[in-house]
Amino acid sequence: MTTIWKVLLAALVVALALGPAAAPVPAFDGEKALHEAAKKEKEFTWYTAHYNSETAAALCQGFEKKYPGVKCNYIRTTAQVAYQRLAQDQKAGIAQASVISSTDQSHYTKMKQDGWLQPYKPKNLPELVDAFRSFNDPDDLFTATAAGLVLITYNTSVVSPAEAPKKWTDLTDPKWKNKVSIGHPGFSGYVGTWVVQMRKLYGWDYFKKLELNKPRIGRSINDTVTMLNAKESIVAAGPSATTLESRAKGNPVAVVYPEDGALLMVSASGILKNAPAPNAAKLFMEYLLSREGNEVMVQQYQDPVNKHVKPMAGGKSIAEIKTIRPTAVEIEKGIPEVKELFRETFGI
Amino acid sequence: MKDRSLVVWVLLIALLLLLVINPLARLLWASFEHPETGAFTLGNYAAAYGRWRNIEALINSLEVGLAAAALCIVFGVPMAWAVSRTDMPAKGLVWAAVLGTFIMPNYLGAVAWILMAGPNAGWLNRIYTGLTGAAAGPFNIYSKTGLVLVIACYSFPYMFVFTRSALDLISSEMEDAASTLGASALRTTLRVTLPLALPAIMGAFIVEFLEAIALFGAPALIALPARFQVMTTMLWQMFEFPPRLQVAAAYSMPLLLITVFLFWLQYRLIARKGFVSLTGKGGERRMVRLGAWRWALLGYCLFVTSLSFFVPMVVVLQAAFAKAWGRGFGWDNLTLRNVRFVLFDQTATRAATVNTFVYAAAASVIALGLALAIAYIVARRLVPMGRALTYVAMAPFVIPGIVLAIGFYAAYTTKPLVLYGTAWILILAFATRFLPIAYTNSDASLRSINPELEDAARILGGSRLLALRRVVVPLLKRGLAGAFILVFIPATRELSSAIFLYTTGTQVLSVLLFDKSDEGNFEILSSMGLILVVGTVALVLAGFRLVGRDFLLRRTAS
Repeated sequence: MTTIWKVLLAALVVALALGPAAAPVPAFDGEKALHEAAKKEKEFTWYTAHYNSETAAALCQGFEKKYPGVKCNYIRTTAQVAYQRLAQDQKAGIAQASVISSTDQSHYTKMKQDGWLQPYKPKNLPELVDAFRSFNDPDDLFTATAAGLVLITYNTSVVSPAEAPKKWTDLTDPKWKNKVSIGHPGFSGYVGTWVVQMRKLYGWDYFKKLELNKPRIGRSINDTVTMLNAKESIVAAGPSATTLESRAKGNPVAVVYPEDGALLMVSASGILKNAPAPNAAKLFMEYLLSREGNEVMVQQYQDPVNKHVKPMAGGKSIAEIKTIRPTAVEIEKGIPEVKELFRETFGI
Repeated sequence: MKDRSLVVWVLLIALLLLLVINPLARLLWASFEHPETGAFTLGNYAAAYGRWRNIEALINSLEVGLAAAALCIVFGVPMAWAVSRTDMPAKGLVWAAVLGTFIMPNYLGAVAWILMAGPNAGWLNRIYTGLTGAAAGPFNIYSKTGLVLVIACYSFPYMFVFTRSALDLISSEMEDAASTLGASALRTTLRVTLPLALPAIMGAFIVEFLEAIALFGAPALIALPARFQVMTTMLWQMFEFPPRLQVAAAYSMPLLLITVFLFWLQYRLIARKGFVSLTGKGGERRMVRLGAWRWALLGYCLFVTSLSFFVPMVVVLQAAFAKAWGRGFGWDNLTLRNVRFVLFDQTATRAATVNTFVYAAAASVIALGLALAIAYIVARRLVPMGRALTYVAMAPFVIPGIVLAIGFYAAYTTKPLVLYGTAWILILAFATRFLPIAYTNSDASLRSINPELEDAARILGGSRLLALRRVVVPLLKRGLAGAFILVFIPATRELSSAIFLYTTGTQVLSVLLFDKSDEGNFEILSSMGLILVVGTVALVLAGFRLVGRDFLLRRTAS
């Protein structure tokens, strides 16, 4: 064998060995420069209400691995707490967070109004699922980085797939009397949006009928998972990610993508105007849209927002199913209204 | 020469005012502040109390709080008497179960109770329908009664420890006097022993009541599905967008008046009576011999701790070692994965565990030291208007943590004390929040000490500070060990203020636990709860060994 062949063979071996790891990841323009600038900032803090704390931790780890020298600190809380902390920081003139990820649409409108955010148009934007584009701010102050569904969930040890409700109106069937679980719009933006959407589809009568079934009302949407596992309720309006994660462990729960549409929740992230680490923040926004970042989300049972990343087994891709969603204006105007109506109908 | 100790008292009072008044004054201020303009307004009070459902929630809270505190007397006082004054067997087990109950996060206990007494699938109901063939069982945890039961289960340890510390100090001479005059053992206990512990029992009652009002975890899980709101669930909603902090502050302020009223009532009820039981004239404590009754008493203790600890612990163990808790018991469902994940894989847990114990210990030392000093100042009337200090020391407990946290944040991000981002903000917040428990306990202990003991030291030429150091503190040591637990354990569980105050590197376990509960991840939540219970019990026991007290807080040797 000649030297040149040896070299070529060696190159081939190296290429094969490194192949999957070094698959061509589309780097964005200026990635290197941004990474260098971020390194000078050393670390950044991310207030997040998207996903659970394991996912937040995994994303931070993935980011630190991809961009060595930049430390990612996360503070994972519920959306209200994240917003409240941010509001306190702003009031006290403290620059702590660089990136904010809330699940509440109204927070973004208010943050924009109050001038807390700085514009950034991620270079990875073309990777975003097309259907989510409309959630981005026209002035680039925030960008969609997380998605989730509210759908019908049930306990498989009591309810067979054939019996399980197929559409939202099935939850009002008297056979589920005392067996339905839902959340409370006063405690959860996910539930609030779902209530707004149901009112839009079927009018408030939907909830009057639902009340005849005496649903168990929990606090957050995730409480329905606990209710189903405890068999205290056997069908619910629940979240996709938490239910599928519980199912992946072997718990007897399953999801139904309603015929009349699963409620799509898309949540954005933005960079604070007073971010102590603006470059690291920009780099992190890129990461949240990147394939690597989205693969981490999928491993944690979250729905991806990168259009090239497949959802995990057992769940369907958002593109394959019928989704429904009120507009931003409908949500902001609707949630305070439905909270009042909800109290009238359900008494709390 | 004037008493130099006066300087010390003034400094300590200043510290109390700084710790308590600084955050509370900011809340009071916020309650009168217009959310947009910052101008003075009564609008927040109108918004908070102008709606019937807010008032209704407050009434529900008061009702649940009173009932839970009353139930705590039923649970806690007989147990404390049994452990302190009788020859009941297995005291160590009972005490460990009470300690375990105290540590268990009330969220876990509430879920356990849903599994036991849920109307559709609860074990108790299934057993009942299995035995009687009835269509539905009688138990329904989703009710006010259910909530009262769960709250009482998780707060009676206050009553137990308070009452016990008091009973431990009473010497048998007093009981002997009664029995010499022909009183039966039961009559002696009811007419002599327990009345001597009255200040402690009343103090505990107030603490239980305030704790029940400020609790969020259990009400969120039980009250909402039962279709009623309590104060804390209403408050939590005020943080939904658009957040109405000022209204939340206004909604909480009247609780301060309730606290003042309770202490005034306590003062009126016990002011004219003497509760001095520690006189320095020797006195020996003998255990009351119960004969066969001791087994009945043990049965009662085990019944209460089964409700509060053993049965919920079965649920926690099942979930902690289950691959999928919804599948129930089964050999193929067992795994060590959750526990391993919490202990080794989740890096956040380790740092948070260390933080939790360090902060709680530091906060306990601060709270106890300050509480003891203030209680002493009040009891010995060292400064004019001393009684007002009682109200100051008790105020932080009644404001629900979520609202108080806002005050802490405001207090420690602006001058004179900028602590944001440091561990101190959490330590001071915990110390302030649990100061009332430390205070109530110190106050009750001091009442039992005859001032003559210090006077003796002072007549012999000692200063007040010397008398305090060499006479009072050594006498109180035993009570202080109990008081330490009473502050340390709640501080390890404190969530609502921590959630707003922690930053990167100062995370505590309660925040992680809340995340898990918010995420519906019950297997991991249970594993963390289990580790917390086992870890804290071990730590507390080891701590007592170290300071020379055994399992039951008796002095070893000597």
